[in-house]
Amino acid sequence: MLSYNVKLALQSFKRAPSLYFLVLLTLSIGVGLLCANLALVSSMAGDPIPEKSDRLFHVSMNTWPTDKPAAEPFHILRYREAMKISESDIPKHSAVFYASGVYARDSQSISLKRFDSSVRATTPGFFALTKAPFAYGNGFAKSSGMEVVIGDQLNQKIFAGANSVGKTLELDGELLTITGVLKPWYLRPLFYHATEGRAFNLTDDIYAPLETAIDLGWSIHARTSSAVSYKGVQFTRDRDVFYLQAWVELEGRAQQQAFQNYLDNYSQTLKDAGEHPLNILNELRDVNAWLSELKIVDQKVLAFTLASVLFLCVCVFNASSLLLSRFHSAKFEVGLRRAIGASNKNIFNQGLTESVLLGLMAGFLSVLLSWLFLKLSITFLPDLANIAVLDPKLLLLGMLLALVTSVSSALYPLYRANRYTISAELK
Amino acid sequence: MLNMNNVSRIYRNDTIQTHALRDFSLEVNTGEFVAVTGPSGSGKSTFLNVAGLLDSFDQGEYSLDGVSVHGLKDDDLSRLRNEKIGFIFQSYNLIPDYSVFDNVDMPLRYRGFNTAERKRRVEQSLEKVGLASRANYLPSQLSGGQQQRVAIARALAGEPKILLADEPTGNLDSLMARQVMELLHNLNQEGTTIIMVTHDPDQAREVSRNIQVIDGQISDFKIYAPLQSSESSSTETINNKERVDA
Repeated sequence: MLSYNVKLALQSFKRAPSLYFLVLLTLSIGVGLLCANLALVSSMAGDPIPEKSDRLFHVSMNTWPTDKPAAEPFHILRYREAMKISESDIPKHSAVFYASGVYARDSQSISLKRFDSSVRATTPGFFALTKAPFAYGNGFAKSSGMEVVIGDQLNQKIFAGANSVGKTLELDGELLTITGVLKPWYLRPLFYHATEGRAFNLTDDIYAPLETAIDLGWSIHARTSSAVSYKGVQFTRDRDVFYLQAWVELEGRAQQQAFQNYLDNYSQTLKDAGEHPLNILNELRDVNAWLSELKIVDQKVLAFTLASVLFLCVCVFNASSLLLSRFHSAKFEVGLRRAIGASNKNIFNQGLTESVLLGLMAGFLSVLLSWLFLKLSITFLPDLANIAVLDPKLLLLGMLLALVTSVSSALYPLYRANRYTISAELK
Repeated sequence: MLNMNNVSRIYRNDTIQTHALRDFSLEVNTGEFVAVTGPSGSGKSTFLNVAGLLDSFDQGEYSLDGVSVHGLKDDDLSRLRNEKIGFIFQSYNLIPDYSVFDNVDMPLRYRGFNTAERKRRVEQSLEKVGLASRANYLPSQLSGGQQQRVAIARALAGEPKILLADEPTGNLDSLMARQVMELLHNLNQEGTTIIMVTHDPDQAREVSRNIQVIDGQISDFKIYAPLQSSESSSTETINNKERVDA
């Protein structure tokens, strides 16, 4: 019966191609637009590291040396607090880092072309904590040493994607050896540095040992706060300069509590020593809580998504109205089929098959339209480039949504078709 | 075969209620060819629709081939229509963009037959109405008479117990009407029970029994001898009530 219903559906499409094209287009535009918006929201509101997001905690501390902090607690830390976190053996992994930037070139290359590259100056635990995916080699083992890990994009630019482990990069005039190359790595949002409007930046080009970066004076390319003046990053270790972010991986409530106590005790020690007058206020927020705290989802995008949902409803009503007229014009055939033995269920299944086929076609078209809408969005709003991505889950969602809307559009017309008086349609 | 006892069908709207059938009682035996006549609006078509399970009834009892249809669900009614009843309509009611084969095949699709069985039945039905060679034609490529024969083939394909024909020659010229009537007579002689609504008194006279419906009731009950022997027979009118009582 299914093959017969498919045959009937195709015949029906052939009979009224313009009408079905309109239905198809109406549903596809509605679903396509919503999917494009959902792609943005999904990138913004998604969990970037679902397998361990509840175990990774951002550390904020309240150790500002005067009683007038710019904010409390601070999401950036002094070197001394960062080291205190780094040396704790409570977390499974910890990472302390700051963002910087250098110009990079292959030291062996005859070309003098240098690439402007973002740098993450970090402790070695960063790679395990973030599950950075390695294509070649591995991370550096110490916080000091003339070694780096590079991202896929930079590796493509400088080494055409080849295994560059062991090669030497010239970074702002210093030679550092590559110990590892990452695979293409997309974190949406970029949870480890979601502040300062960077939540949708790409992952970094270069990962360098923290102490090395400080020693080389690689400047801080992120928010800093200081209660004192300083000449460069290399002079920050023993000063009240707040610029490092810290993340820890804690397994279970007990470990979390133990680490909270560890931080609180440390703060209390400072307070007791008269190094800060503030209340003890140290916060651990897991990935999603931290991203939520930062409110990285653009409210305008959310509002537009809501508008897209309403627009889709209008599309469904329109499609339903078109299908109603189509079913109405097919009353004779429905009556005839009922007269010769088709049950209401048969007629319903026939209409359902038609709407499922229509839904599948609308699914493909809406995915294509979603892609076009996103391309268009990027043209007008280049900032969306890193988040306007249709991942496989969204493609599937688009297909399902088209299917559901198509079936929903047909439900009322089908209900009406099953209410026709058979004898009234036949003479 | 068909047994209606005091069946009533009332159509209602906000202001009027119309008794399309009023205490309608009729028994049709297997192999009969019954003509239903009467003026327009008398309830002939309503009777045929109720008999064909295309319309419901408000009161009374109706059984078809021993099955009481009162209270049956849609699935059961559809199955009864499909298995026991063949419809022939005045306007043929063929799907214009289906081939003759596909039109005849339609009722069989809802019976769950396999492809081979459907093909056998369609070919047999088309053979019976003399249109085997036109299986791939579209209805528009056939004359009115041929289209009605396709409709008869469609009605026969399911090998129904009873054929219900609603003015089957109403849209045909006299020659084609004659051919269609001959076909129906042949089918009847082969054992098919037929109930036919007609306005044509000649056609009514040709069949074994004529029922006249007026105001939703059987007004009287005429038995005609078949046309070929009508010269030596007489027309008998029997009061319906007496007949039922008998």
